[in-house]
Amino acid sequence: MTNTPTRRSFMKGGLGAGAALAAAGLAAPARAEGDPAITEIQDWNRYSGPGVDASPYGKPSKFEAGVVRRNVAWLTADPVSSVNFTPLHELDGIITPNGLCFERHHAGVAEIDPHKHRLMINGLVETPLVFTMADLMRFPRENHVYFLECAANSGMEWRGAQLNGCQYTHGMIHCVMYTGVKLKHLLDEAGVKTNGKWVMPEGADASAMTRSIPMEKAMEDCLVAFRMNGEALRPEQGYPLRLVVPGWEGNMWVKWLRRLEVGDEPWQAREETSKYTDLLANGKARRFTFLMDVKSVITSPSPQAPITHGRGRTVVTGLAWSGTGRIKRVDVSLDGGRNWVTARLDGPSLPKALHRFYHEFDWDGSELFLQSRAMDEAGFVQPTKQELRAARGPNSIYHNNGIQTWHVATDGAVENVEIS
Amino acid sequence: MSKFLKTLAVLAPLSLLCNNVAWADPDAEDGAKVFNKCKACHAVGEGAKHKVGPELNDLFGRTAGTAEGYKYSPAMTKAGEEGLVWNDETLHAYLAAPRGYVKGTKMAFAGLKKKEEIDDLLAYLKTHTSGAAAPEEKEAEPERKSEAPAPTEERKAEAAPAPDAAPKTHGVFHLGRPATADEIAAWDIDVRPDGHGLPEGRGTVAEGEALFTDQCAACHGDFGEAIGRWPVLAGGQDTLTNDRPVKTIGSYWPYLSTVYDYIRRAMPFGNARSLSDDDVYALTAYVLYLNDIVTDEDFELSRDNFTSVEMPNKDGFIDDDRLSEPHYAGKAEPCMNDCRPGKAEITMHAAVLDVTPDAEDGEGSPSIE
Ligand code: HEC
Ligand code: HEC
Repeated sequence: MTNTPTRRSFMKGGLGAGAALAAAGLAAPARAEGDPAITEIQDWNRYSGPGVDASPYGKPSKFEAGVVRRNVAWLTADPVSSVNFTPLHELDGIITPNGLCFERHHAGVAEIDPHKHRLMINGLVETPLVFTMADLMRFPRENHVYFLECAANSGMEWRGAQLNGCQYTHGMIHCVMYTGVKLKHLLDEAGVKTNGKWVMPEGADASAMTRSIPMEKAMEDCLVAFRMNGEALRPEQGYPLRLVVPGWEGNMWVKWLRRLEVGDEPWQAREETSKYTDLLANGKARRFTFLMDVKSVITSPSPQAPITHGRGRTVVTGLAWSGTGRIKRVDVSLDGGRNWVTARLDGPSLPKALHRFYHEFDWDGSELFLQSRAMDEAGFVQPTKQELRAARGPNSIYHNNGIQTWHVATDGAVENVEIS
Repeated sequence: MSKFLKTLAVLAPLSLLCNNVAWADPDAEDGAKVFNKCKACHAVGEGAKHKVGPELNDLFGRTAGTAEGYKYSPAMTKAGEEGLVWNDETLHAYLAAPRGYVKGTKMAFAGLKKKEEIDDLLAYLKTHTSGAAAPEEKEAEPERKSEAPAPTEERKAEAAPAPDAAPKTHGVFHLGRPATADEIAAWDIDVRPDGHGLPEGRGTVAEGEALFTDQCAACHGDFGEAIGRWPVLAGGQDTLTNDRPVKTIGSYWPYLSTVYDYIRRAMPFGNARSLSDDDVYALTAYVLYLNDIVTDEDFELSRDNFTSVEMPNKDGFIDDDRLSEPHYAGKAEPCMNDCRPGKAEITMHAAVLDVTPDAEDGEGSPSIE
């Protein structure tokens, strides 16, 4: 080990320790005798490393050990019904690695033997059916990249800035490629009766999660998925089977899917009455607010990813998404929304998937108020938090897609703030 | 001799015998999985704290009801005073039927049915009692070399026990097989506001109170007021327009069917699907009573009168009208220059600065739904 401080050791030393960060920086020290990383022979340059089977299922480099999901223990009574967050500030591109996709369970992770897993379709259908996993794999398969966002993502920020890190403010989202079969094929196989207007997915875990989904959505683009990013679903993402409800709130994407019931009315399950209803200032609550609105966030710089290189060339990057379809444009502001420049979208632009944006500029070392603002192909523009609060009051919790502000201090430290 | 010592005397020779029988070796790893059933209430391992139930480190050899700083039921304390000490035999008896073995214990857990499960569980718990772990460690299994790739899921998965090969009676692809009436009945337990799905049955407020005290109050509080951060089930009426609304069954939930449906499928937490249909009627009646929606302790809820109960906030919900909000309705081209007056000033900093995995308890902090 060298004594050169790495970015990781800074992160361990505590978030927001800004002054030290900017002073030390990452730039290779240019001493007269040269950079020892170059002039000295390194161990990895001399000795052979482990052979091919040392890690039959490969893991990230040990130097990336800090790139993990994290929870905030006091948010919930028990880790068995709780949530952790995707480390967005450490990621790039649009695909979330399977092991970093945030988790939200209501009765822990069910461990299901795929040979004992069944999917039943019953209710208002011509022939109630039972499928094994093997049966399901004989339907025509499709591959789609979709984001999944919890409707409570950024919910802690409704009343004002709370948590210092985009992992916590925006980390209840992930985006992977699903392989599965169209829900429509399964419903057609059972034959939906003419009065079948709603579909209720149910989980096989000990919370037996249920939601009501309108038939048009079920027939339009929902998938019953068994793979994510090419491999089997992870247990915490519903292995062996989950529902995919593109563009709609994550709670509806029932994991460990074991049953689909067709009915003529919604069920008014606990998760669509007690939870996932949006209380307005007048005491009325909106229900069935399925769609996830247009939204974006700058993932770096952000409180857990401060600027450590000092002034000069600086990369601002982030994510944008909309449940309506593709992202058309993302604007970035360095001065808290006074002036905007259009950012560069890069990588695939897929409907109802994350989009990656970049904005490169020369930082003069002065204080910044970073914001991003997304616009989707339907023409919806991401609102400010003030606009949302004015329309909905302070207790709506869900569907907070307001513009996020990061304050960058002159030493490069970043903080979650609200501004005038 | 107390009844506990008697059981010991009876069990001891038996357990000697058992040693000669070829039981499947108890497996601490499998036991860790069984412990998932206890996790809602118990912690074990480094830094374990009391939760709903006491922490279970150094359990073997512990006199019942004596973990420091935990408030036991009088029944558990008394059992300890009468000589109950936790070991293989007593734990087997307790975990098979907690309330049968320690009458009056407040541990709301039905019990583990399989002896092997308890064996594995105890092997696991022993790894957290100093000096109690199994003497001979199992020989390290030779590294399983991946000679042949495991069969793919498609080839492995066997067909569900079907009456006969799927008759081509349905659909386009002729996949899957018809579900039987019994199979549907086993899974289809959902209940709707119009009463669709309600089973035969009944239960009174008074019956519900006994069940609630026994199986729910440890988390939700005797009056549904909640212990710690567990959900509140009662109160909060007329607070929905307050700065800090309290959303409960009484103040917020629009339909009673949701109460029945949810308790039946998901509660008690950690022991779902253990209640009878009558139990769920009784508990639903009691939750109504806690919320002053019914006031008579003799009130009996049944399939017949269920849909006649109206919830106070039944008219409190509207459809999604987000698109009518000013920021969406206009769909205007967004401003690019000089959009706001003056320089940005900070009006609020993040309230929780250091969000580390082991951040201090955030009393009064926002909670997640
Ligand atoms: C719903 C909550 C809950 C669950 C689930 C639960 N327990 Fe308990 N447990 C308790 C409570 C509460 C007590 C205290 C009992 C008393 O004071 O009467 C307790 C007491 C105990 C004790 C006695 C400890 C002592 O210090 O005397 C043991 C042993 C125990 N539990 C083991 C288990 C095991 C093993 C499981 C899982 C198979 C389990 N419990 C599941 C709540 C629970
Ligand atoms: C070990 C603690 C525990 C016990 C015991 C328990 N619950 Fe719960 N209860 C919970 C948790 C945790 C939740 C929330 C689960 C979630 O959201 O994933 C909950 C949720 C509920 C809710 C929904 C509350 C809301 O506002 O949405 C009801 C109703 C309920 N429980 C009733 C009961 C009843 C009745 C019993 C007894 C038969 C019971 N619970 C036993 C922990 C417990």
